Amino acid sequence: MDFLSDTVALSRMQFALTAIFHMLWPVLTTGMGIYLVIVEGMWLKTRNPDYYHHARFWAKLYVLNFGIGVASGLPMEFQFGTNWAPFSEAVGDFFGSILGFEASMAFMLEAGFLGIMLFGWERVNPVIHYFATIMVAFGANLSTFWILAANSWLQTPAGGEMVNGKFVVDDYFQAILNPFMLNSVSHMFLATLETSLFVIGGISAWYILNNRHQAFFARSLKIVLATAIAVTPLQIYIGHLSAEQVADYQPTKLAAMEAKWETSPAGQPAPWSVVALPNNQTEQNDWEISIPNGLGYILEFKKNLSKPVLGLKEWKPEDRPRMVGLIYYAFRIMSGIGFFLAGLMSISVIQWLRGKLSPEAIAEQKWLLRIWILAAPLGYIAVESGWIVRCVGRQPWVVYGQIRTADGVSHLPASEVLTSLVIFAVIYTALFICALFFGSRIIRQGPNLELPVPGIDTQPALETTPAEFVPDQRPIEAEQ
Amino acid sequence: MENLEHFLAQVWFVILALFLFLYVMLDGFDLGVGILSLTSSNDDRRDILMTSLGNIWDANETWLVLMGGALFGAFPLAYGTILNALYIPIFGMIFGLIFRAVSFEFREHSTNKVFWNVAFGVGSFMAALFQGFALGSILEGIKVDESGHFIGSMWDWLDWRSLLVALTLIQGYVLIGSTYLILKTEGELQTSHYRTAKLAAWTTLIGAILITIATPVVYENARAKLFHQPEVYLFSLIPVLGVLLIGLLIQSLNRKAETTPLVWTVLLFLLTFVGLGLVVFPYIIPPGITIYQAAAAPSALVFMIIFIGFLIPIMLFYNIYNYIVFRGKVAGTHYGE
Repeated sequence: MDFLSDTVALSRMQFALTAIFHMLWPVLTTGMGIYLVIVEGMWLKTRNPDYYHHARFWAKLYVLNFGIGVASGLPMEFQFGTNWAPFSEAVGDFFGSILGFEASMAFMLEAGFLGIMLFGWERVNPVIHYFATIMVAFGANLSTFWILAANSWLQTPAGGEMVNGKFVVDDYFQAILNPFMLNSVSHMFLATLETSLFVIGGISAWYILNNRHQAFFARSLKIVLATAIAVTPLQIYIGHLSAEQVADYQPTKLAAMEAKWETSPAGQPAPWSVVALPNNQTEQNDWEISIPNGLGYILEFKKNLSKPVLGLKEWKPEDRPRMVGLIYYAFRIMSGIGFFLAGLMSISVIQWLRGKLSPEAIAEQKWLLRIWILAAPLGYIAVESGWIVRCVGRQPWVVYGQIRTADGVSHLPASEVLTSLVIFAVIYTALFICALFFGSRIIRQGPNLELPVPGIDTQPALETTPAEFVPDQRPIEAEQ
Repeated sequence: MENLEHFLAQVWFVILALFLFLYVMLDGFDLGVGILSLTSSNDDRRDILMTSLGNIWDANETWLVLMGGALFGAFPLAYGTILNALYIPIFGMIFGLIFRAVSFEFREHSTNKVFWNVAFGVGSFMAALFQGFALGSILEGIKVDESGHFIGSMWDWLDWRSLLVALTLIQGYVLIGSTYLILKTEGELQTSHYRTAKLAAWTTLIGAILITIATPVVYENARAKLFHQPEVYLFSLIPVLGVLLIGLLIQSLNRKAETTPLVWTVLLFLLTFVGLGLVVFPYIIPPGITIYQAAAAPSALVFMIIFIGFLIPIMLFYNIYNYIVFRGKVAGTHYGE
């Protein structure tokens, strides 16, 4: 328990804890924002009230997640100053600017238009409302861009150099366009979208299985499926590109992802390990099951490696990640889920083409719907695993190869950090439980198909004063 | 070159002051309404209070995130040192803001509305209190070594002077919250906020007078600056104008005006900000580190102005549009339904 008096370990734990919890909420709002743009667009195009009710129903889940996302995200930014002051001072010129852009360009856009998207249905005309929805989605995804640009820069710092312990930037655009940036942003963009699609799909499947609003939710399941056809295979491809880049730029991370202790020379095949028990003390895997010649095929689609793959022993113990087992398994969980979701998508599309997903027949597909329900949380697990690989695999560096994590931490009394860490753990656990509780309550209540439809039942009230506006007083759908 | 660097640092000082002012003004009335909700006589009233903020609180809170990011980018040294020194008040404020934010969402779906209403009020109070402590201890000064790193202890921020600032800030938030509610509500609810506004106007005045007297008495470095000719006339003008504004405010409350109380209060906040800005300038970590010492490289400041500078009017535009869309009295809630 010596970590209880170790400020570095405690600050790292606090960052990890807050980041892992925080990520659960924006991942959904970012992807679901795009989905809301799709359904509202369909509503405006077809004037089919079902699409309007979809927009209203999913927006309820959206705003629940958004509120908790904002709340849990506040400590993320401020922690750089409170717990990582030397890091902030060394890289603030670039890293701080990027966080400033994220707040001003992305987050403000999302928060500024959210009110209109949620409450503005009867107050502004449909075009402005649609514009607000687009801005919310655009803002959320712009956040992905800036945050991933900043994090990629920590992985592959570019655009300047360290001078006297401070990173001096000479080309900001080169720093933003650092080697990892494009793939990382794409990977995260697709991850949020894919996670949200399978959450929406899983919830829709649950309704269909329970014989509630089957036609209504068959519709959302098909929108999800149509989008997933493109997203799931593309995500696997981008993931592969990312792994190739890790091999080029962060050999220590790749070695940990594969639990490789010994170097495999070029020109020869090498095994690819499937399951293993890495042991940091003896610097080898206590046991492992591996596929002979697999590594070459995975990295380069051919048997022999064209360049050597370095093992962990090439570096001193203090220069390589320590949590090899965690990184190794997190990577396998993430990629396993990626393939599983692509497979689920393929099977569902085949059933769709066979006409098995029509509103009348869809309830017969019980086993398929059950798998969809089970798949709902998988995206989250994959995202969290991916971030663990990304950031734990970067250790012992906070800025890869430039600043060590231990040198970036504020000198604080350990008791102070321990206190805040414990409070965070309690609050975030409570938030998580509440989010599940209220989220499932929204789902159990179901969509309110009695809502007045703007343009059909009501006119937009732009020209009327709010005092004339009479809110809808009809009871919501009864609990079932 | 020297002049340009100084100019850039000054520009960012002004931009940060603007962000902070917008945050304190906008989230100020959110937090003030939250604190007032603790005194509401029944839950229907609390519902209306929370509904009046439903569509704007998140945008208002974003100014804080924006200020944090801008401070991080423009004055990295100050960002690290100040937040390191204010570890406890910063996290206290964050915990308060977390309670406040999730109360909005959970109350909507909860059957136990009372619990979340209270969490909303307590969270608002906590956030306001710790913001006041943070502001007070920055004005008071932070212990640093010659390279600007924090060398004090973790309880440095807590003393009678920062407590005085914290209590005054809470009064100010209650004042702006009350005047906002006067604008947004009707009938009995409005009447009760005329009362709270008047009370808060007096308590804010008392707090401000105490702070104004204490500043030159307690802080030697401030004293020299404040009584330096010819600025002394400028500095003595601010309290005079402040008293004048409070007088106008109380008069407008007596006349039962609906809009003007909020206008006078906003002007009062603005005046206070100008005053604090003049006292603090050119320091970013009083009393030792100036904005010129703590500033990021000039290229970083230019880079940020290019991106953030042109966004400021756009952000102001759509935030104002948001208020225009939801102008008028608070109707019943029809959120998500």
